[in-house]
Amino acid sequence: MPDLLSARQTGIDSRVVNTQLWALAAAGTVVLAAAGLEAYRAARARRLAAGTTSAPAAEPYILYFTGDNCTVCRTHQEPALAKLGSVRVDKVDAVAERELADRFHVYTLPTTVVMTADGRALHVNYGYAPANKLDRQLAEARSGLTLEQTATA
Amino acid sequence: MALTTVDHSALKVNQTGIVATVLVAFIGSYFFRPVLVLIPLLAVVLLVGTFAPQLALFKQFYFKVLKPRGIVKPRPVQDRPEPHNFAQGLGGVFLVISSVFLLPVPVIGLALALLVAVLAFVNLAFGYCLGCQIYFQLGKRGLIRAS
Repeated sequence: MPDLLSARQTGIDSRVVNTQLWALAAAGTVVLAAAGLEAYRAARARRLAAGTTSAPAAEPYILYFTGDNCTVCRTHQEPALAKLGSVRVDKVDAVAERELADRFHVYTLPTTVVMTADGRALHVNYGYAPANKLDRQLAEARSGLTLEQTATA
Repeated sequence: MALTTVDHSALKVNQTGIVATVLVAFIGSYFFRPVLVLIPLLAVVLLVGTFAPQLALFKQFYFKVLKPRGIVKPRPVQDRPEPHNFAQGLGGVFLVISSVFLLPVPVIGLALALLVAVLAFVNLAFGYCLGCQIYFQLGKRGLIRAS
């Protein structure tokens, strides 16, 4: 009887508490599973896109996949790209140029690809990439690091 | 399709409203179960706001109260409203499904409502809009006219 007495005193229906906790656990599980799937998908797309070739250039450059519907592109990615200074940025509409987007396994916007001067994809960033990250990746592209070296660096 | 000016503060107020309403329903139902009625009401608010933006409760609260009084400053951005409306509508649909489950299987109903709140919070805090990404994917596959 002590449990019943306790429940009566507190006035809390334990079934309601259980419902809340189970709902929290279920939502948490879905969020964790989605985060895990997203991490897996990004890693897989990065692996598939790395080394993909495009036009060579005099200097390393950035392929920037964007679209009319991409808000983060305008509010975050473009200001970050502007901070890079004189680096060449090739803006690509991922919907209009679907073939090129598919070649780099673009599944989210923005996507930025750091290309070496000989036209190989060295780094692929799915989602917003801050300026300092792009700067570091461009420095690696300028120093002539290969894909294998960047993977172990 | 041409860009227009979208006030992102209105979107942020909308997301705050969604998170707050779901949290009140979730925590409030611990003490007083009928508070769960807020979830179907929120579904109606989101769906009505999707198809008739002039009736979007939280956005109108921003435009009619918060903005004129200077409580929240406007943040106009060259943007398209369609992905945001799509995301809001998607949230509304999930809340309708959540409402259907609330009485027979409250765990599923509450979990779905919490997921909508989590996604609204992620958009509010980090600017990542899952509904907008789904809109992009549908556009890429030619299922909707995304651009």
